[in-house]
Order: sequence, then structure tokens, then C-alpha cells
Amino acid sequence: MENVATDENWKTCFSQLAPGLLLFARQWARSSADAEDIVQEAFVRFWRKQHDIANRGLLYATVRSIALDFLRRDSRRARRESAAVSESDQMVQPMFEVEDESQRALVAALDLLPNEQREVLVMKIWNELTFAEIASALEISQNTAASRYRYALAALKKNLPSV
Amino acid sequence: MNDFSDIESKLRKLRPVQPSADLRTRIERALAEETSTRLRSATARQASTAGVLPRERRFHFNWLSLGLGLAAATALVLFAFLRLEGPAQKRSSLAAITPAPAFSTNSNAQFIPAGLTQVVYHTRDEGLHFNRNSDQPMRRLRSHTRETLQWRNPTTGASLRISYPSEEVSLVPVTGQ
Repeated sequence: MENVATDENWKTCFSQLAPGLLLFARQWARSSADAEDIVQEAFVRFWRKQHDIANRGLLYATVRSIALDFLRRDSRRARRESAAVSESDQMVQPMFEVEDESQRALVAALDLLPNEQREVLVMKIWNELTFAEIASALEISQNTAASRYRYALAALKKNLPSV
Repeated sequence: MNDFSDIESKLRKLRPVQPSADLRTRIERALAEETSTRLRSATARQASTAGVLPRERRFHFNWLSLGLGLAAATALVLFAFLRLEGPAQKRSSLAAITPAPAFSTNSNAQFIPAGLTQVVYHTRDEGLHFNRNSDQPMRRLRSHTRETLQWRNPTTGASLRISYPSEEVSLVPVTGQ
């Protein structure tokens, strides 16, 4: 991995990390547009502070922090628009490129997971973070991160009997 | 973890939605702006701005403050030394407005006593008292005073003055009528 701060070809880093970061940000954002705003701000802040891109725990912690700030700032609007957005937005702006019905069922089961389990799953599966990195980003212990991951997989398995 | 390997592989097959091309452009623009802002601020720092642009903050060691601080500390140490050294002498010169003594012949002395002022601003007669050791009654007088001590450095002309309140009780023998 390269350092964003000194990397002229930052687009490579962006291509590698952006989809996972976007998915991670979507845990708190109500739309893809909001998630992209969060990722943009995180990228720029990371670059500005010249952090090492190899420190992925810090990068995800930055995204999470910005997302939570965003959520707080946006709470008033969220209350006004809550029901309509949460339903229509999920349909119009999916988080995954679904290919078949089994994947659709899997995505639906993912949506049912508690947030704390889903964020660990997202970081582990689609961002390929280690439990140490996840623990660092979420400020939890590695054991807790691993437990949440196992609980999430167990819940998915339970909700998808065909798996 | 082997129990979950099948569901893990299914999850990995799910592809997250790719970010829009617009996001890439926005980040590129934001980073470019950040770079230009940094360059501008760096250039502004280097340029002579005549006070128009904010100047770079530097750590300035304030020698004047250090000197004043050291002088004050020296004066306090000297004062503490004088107080500890001669309480008896001080008591002997009480109740008098003493003129400034002659300058010390020792030219090395930094501060020499320059005066002692004792102002009695309140006296209260607390009545007659009979001491065990004396047959004669005594009148007890309580005085509130303010004493001011002053030192002066003849070399530099600097002076140090300290003032504090004090209370004194005196017993005056009552003469028979």
C-alpha cells in the first residue's frame, strides 16, 4: 500500500479502497450520495493529515467518525424524511450488485443484522481488514470483533436455511 | 470458522456497488484545492508580507521577561534572607520613621535597607488588667499598625518596598493618683 499523502497516482488507492469504503460508509448513510460525501471527506482528511494508507484501521476509523458526525448533523432532516427515504433509497440505490435471487436473499439477510455485527462483517469480508485492524477502527477488543463476526455469520446462516 | 466457510464464500461473491465517476472527480478536485491551498500558504509564509498576510508563528524567547523575572526572584530571595537574618534589629527600630541610612560602604551590596515606616492607624484601650507578677494594675492598649520596609540598590537606583499590617499589644503601668 502507498501513502495517500505522497502518492501522485492516488487513483490507484482510490480504486482499491473506494468500493469497500463506500460500503462501510453506507452503514450510516441513508443514500449513496451521502456515503460518497463521507468517503470524499475521509479521503481528503486522510490526505491532509498525511497518514499512512497502510494504517487501514485509522482510515476506517476516519470514515466512521465522519459518518457519525454526518449522521448527527443530518438527524433533523433524517427525522423528517425517515420512512420514505429508508424504503425507497434501499430499492433505488442498492449497496451490492446483485446477480441472482440467492444473492438478493443474502443482501436482505444482511440488512437484518444488527449494525455492530454488520459493520464488522463489512470490514472483514469486503475490506479484508484483520481483526486487529477492525478492533483499532472500532475501538473494541479483537475478541469482541471476532465474536461479532461469528455472530453475524451465524445469524446469516440461520436466516438463510439453504446455505 | 470452518462452519461458516460456505457463507463467507457467498458473501465474497457479492460485489459492492462501485463509486460513481463523479466521486473520483470530486476527490481529485478537493485534493487539488488542498494542494494549491498548501502551496499558497507556503508561498505566503515565505514572502515578505509587510503585515498584510499572517506571518508564520515562531517561538520568540522574551529576554526582557526573563530578565524581569530573574530580578524579581533575586529581590524576593534577598528579602527572605534579610527577614530571616535580623528580626531583632527590626524590632529595635520599630515605632520610628527612620531616615534613609547612609549608603553602604560595601559597593558590592545590591540592596541596602533604606527605611522603615510604622503608621499606627488605630489604638484601642482594652481596660485595666492585673498581672500575676505585679501588684500594680496595667492598662492594655491594642494598636493596629502598618509597617513598611524599604530597600534600595545604590548602584542601579532600584528599590524594593514591602508593606504589611501588624498588631501590637502594650501594657502601660497605671500610676497612682
